Amino acid sequence: MFHTTFYLRRLHSLCGLLMLGFFILEHMMTNSLAMAGPQIFNMAMGMVEEIPKPVFYGIEIGMYAVPILFHGIYGIYIALQAKNNPRDYGYLRNWNFTLQRWTAWYLVVFLIWHVGYLRIYLKGITGTPMSFELLQNIFQNPVVAILYVIGMWAAIFHFCNGITTFCMTWGITKGPRAQNVINAISMMLCAGLCLLTLAFMASYFVY
Amino acid sequence: MSKKKIAIVGGGISGLLATIKVCELGGEVDLFSYCPVKRSHSLCAQGGINACMDTKGEHDSIYEHFDDTVYGGDFLADQIAVKGMVEAAPKLIKMFDRMGVPFTRTAEGVLDLRNFGGQKHKRTCFAGSTTGQQILYALDEQVRRWEVKGAVHKYEFWEFVKIIKNKEGICRGLVAQSMNTMEVRAFRADTVILATGGPGQVFGRCTASTICNGSAVSAVYQQGAEIANPEFIQIHPTAIPGSDKNRLMSEACRGEGGRVWVYKDGKPWYFLEEMYPAYGNLVPRDVASRAIFKVCVHMGLGINGENRVYLDLSHIDSGYLERKLGGILEMYSEFVGQDPRKVPMEIFPSVHYSMGGIWVDRVHNTNIPGLMASGECDYQYHGANRLGANSLLSAAYSGTVSGPEAMRWAKEGNKGSELTDAEMERARLEVQNEYEKILQMNGSENAHQLHHEMGDLMYEYVAIERDNNGLDKGLEGLRQILKRWDNIGISDHSKVANQEAMFVRQLRNMILYAMAITKSARMRDESRGAHAKIVLENGKRKLDKDGELVFMGRDDEKFMRVTIVNYDPKTEEPIISYRDFDHSLIPPRARNYAVAKKE
Amino acid sequence: MADKVRFIIERQDGPDEKPYNQEFDVDYRPGLNVVAALMEIQKNPVTVDGKRVPPVNWECNCLEKVCGACTMVINGRVQQACCALIDHLKQPIHLQPARTFPVIRDLLVDRSIMFENLKKIQGWVEIDGSWEVTNAPIQNPYTAQLTYKLSQCMTCGCCLEACPNVNYSHLGIEGLREEKSAGAADFMGASPIAQAYLFNLNPIGSFDKPKRLNALMEKGGITSCGNSQNCAAVCPKSLPLLDVLAQVNRDVNVQALKNMFNF
Repeated sequence: MFHTTFYLRRLHSLCGLLMLGFFILEHMMTNSLAMAGPQIFNMAMGMVEEIPKPVFYGIEIGMYAVPILFHGIYGIYIALQAKNNPRDYGYLRNWNFTLQRWTAWYLVVFLIWHVGYLRIYLKGITGTPMSFELLQNIFQNPVVAILYVIGMWAAIFHFCNGITTFCMTWGITKGPRAQNVINAISMMLCAGLCLLTLAFMASYFVY
Repeated sequence: MSKKKIAIVGGGISGLLATIKVCELGGEVDLFSYCPVKRSHSLCAQGGINACMDTKGEHDSIYEHFDDTVYGGDFLADQIAVKGMVEAAPKLIKMFDRMGVPFTRTAEGVLDLRNFGGQKHKRTCFAGSTTGQQILYALDEQVRRWEVKGAVHKYEFWEFVKIIKNKEGICRGLVAQSMNTMEVRAFRADTVILATGGPGQVFGRCTASTICNGSAVSAVYQQGAEIANPEFIQIHPTAIPGSDKNRLMSEACRGEGGRVWVYKDGKPWYFLEEMYPAYGNLVPRDVASRAIFKVCVHMGLGINGENRVYLDLSHIDSGYLERKLGGILEMYSEFVGQDPRKVPMEIFPSVHYSMGGIWVDRVHNTNIPGLMASGECDYQYHGANRLGANSLLSAAYSGTVSGPEAMRWAKEGNKGSELTDAEMERARLEVQNEYEKILQMNGSENAHQLHHEMGDLMYEYVAIERDNNGLDKGLEGLRQILKRWDNIGISDHSKVANQEAMFVRQLRNMILYAMAITKSARMRDESRGAHAKIVLENGKRKLDKDGELVFMGRDDEKFMRVTIVNYDPKTEEPIISYRDFDHSLIPPRARNYAVAKKE
Repeated sequence: MADKVRFIIERQDGPDEKPYNQEFDVDYRPGLNVVAALMEIQKNPVTVDGKRVPPVNWECNCLEKVCGACTMVINGRVQQACCALIDHLKQPIHLQPARTFPVIRDLLVDRSIMFENLKKIQGWVEIDGSWEVTNAPIQNPYTAQLTYKLSQCMTCGCCLEACPNVNYSHLGIEGLREEKSAGAADFMGASPIAQAYLFNLNPIGSFDKPKRLNALMEKGGITSCGNSQNCAAVCPKSLPLLDVLAQVNRDVNVQALKNMFNF
């Protein structure tokens, strides 16, 4: 009678909103600096390096790695249970439900690639510091650039739709009207962040 | 002492309430049903349930309810039994309220009451327009509670086939067949209660569910149970005609102010209000049905010449309608495609309810010891015609009587010898062999087609207006259909959920029950309640000088008796006799709804 | 000659048999619905190729959309067959069983799990007995209107069939098939949750509210609702399921806090 499923699901929901939200917003902010040009971006990267290592690793592991791994692994279990049916029931919310799971699958692969290559291989193993030029170099390959844009859009949608479902799961928005309002707001946020992504991705090609 | 086992067949309101009563008395119940009990036909009852709550300042009394019921039933109901029912009614309502039935409430939060046909007081408690559904669900929930406690074992999707008697002729068990695995099994029981509902499907298209075929009643009739008053079939005046079924439009429509009319000389003619000024649109069902039938069939005034009249709610505030009748108005829009809040509905009478059924005494024992009947499948309480909203009452009340009586019999009754294993197996094999024989049938008739033809036949000769010529023809037609049954061909030989084979077995029972209805109607030479017979003159229907049909009058001298039908196993024909009953409390008087009722 | 309506029916001879399609033509008439058409097929079960076959099996009782028996998937959308008018459907009309549940035969499925779930959530008012005790409490008529709405749930299974998170197809069928372990279901669907809420609203039923909420927090309860909201869109009785799910979510969260801090 410990209601394991209940607490796991609620924890999954909380991790998703708070930790992933923080992860995404942090990425959006630092990357937006790319629009201001290489110097500013590199300066920000340098400031990150100034954070004392124990604190930095603490944040990385405690606030990013563990919650994301939990959210991802438990999320796979959840996504496996769904029999998506938007073709028969083509309602907006059902499409969002389906997209939430499709984006999840993409993000699992994308994050393994993104974290594995940039953070673990380049920064961790070879010791290459993150910089505007490094990213610019990586994005020279248009396939990589497109996969990155899709990855970020997927993450943004997953997060913004997550806000709507979070409000339902926690009983914050009760009834269709409140739920529609929150959904509209989070979808606007989604659109805004997607455009922002395009803007800073473009800046890697401009400078 | 081991626990008493009661087998209850049918999970409608009566069966479920009997189940609860048995469990409360410490018994165990095997509950058999064609379907999950939550889908039983009781849920089609719409308008409400009568009980003298007297909360509308109208000085309603239990006696008034009693008198309305007896008068409405044209003095053919056992008055002691009816009295017991109307006295218990307010208590039943309070019990349902405690169980959580969401009755419609007044602004101050107490139960609201509405008008209903054949009654001058507001006396009908209701839950929107799905009162039966709500009461059935509450009972289903209470039975589920007993199921969790282990006192009830449900056999859903099991068809009752016949009872098993011991060598003394006492009912000690039954044989049933799983509708999914087709397994035939014999069950022991201290008492068997049939609560299997009405035989509407005998008429093909009616307001009843597809499961209301009277097959179980017919099965025990063939095993020696007496049937009483089967000729009294209620025709509901307001139903939406349909090819698969006639869908009920609740009497609550008239109760809430609905008016019935047709065009006459280019102007709306509110014929019920004109013919019956005292009760107007609120005349009892048999009266309203005959009036509509006359207006359409004999006067040719039906809408566009078809057999339809208008039932008009469009003059009533739509918010009020939504609150009081929402469910059924939505149903009308859905099935017909027109909004009854804006345009009048088109309706016509349809077979609805059987006042008759298995003969029972006042505590619901049949003439076979150990076998009881409860609910619409028994004949008690309604006499020759049932008042609207008395059916839920009789279903519920009969369950509260039959349940305790079943336990009394199980404990104290003279049950004779136990069934031996060999007797059980013999009964099981008999059913198994009959079933195998059905699977072998390879004639040219289709059972469903035959059923359709029987429905047409019954509507033509045994419905609203009857005469002895027609009834003779009907009976002969049924004999032909019974003969053709032998020539049915089966195209389904599957061992899983073989619905066709089961239907073939049910159909034979239905034909035999139809014969009991028709023969009883033929023998009763009078008009009483729902049974209206036209006088024949020189072999033709007699007309008076205005060209109106002449109906037989009520003949209390000869026919204020209960029709008793026994089955003759040799000829398969019904044998009719008559039995006196208790009508000592209210002396019979003429039934006339053109004037206010006098006591 | 009358117009014909073509039906493509997904049939299955037994719980573990392979499904296959058969086509039938039925004479058109105004007001024809799917059940009426299936009844016509019963009277003459011959496919368009002229082959005589066993009549199609399905479940129906009331034909008035109150019993919930005739739920099936019509043109990809779950609904009651009795009120599915041919005039409103695209032809040819595809009929399939509601495969969220184990299929018994043809369009016949086993929905007994729905009634089992009503046991889990303690879907009843715990009265002392059917004898006379006292008058029931007076109820707020507005709450009563909501409970009346919720109480119209006919356990038809539409909300479960349309929900991407409910899957009971692996369950056993009494006497016909053992339970298959694959793809264990993790969500009971909206219907029993609405019933739990209904009894929590009842003045007497509310005494057992913590029991019901705790039951809903167990595996298979409300927890795994994925908010696709198909349930509310397909509910034939238009139950306010979105409000119910959000409210019960709120209630179980409060209950979880109580469980944690009120030992």
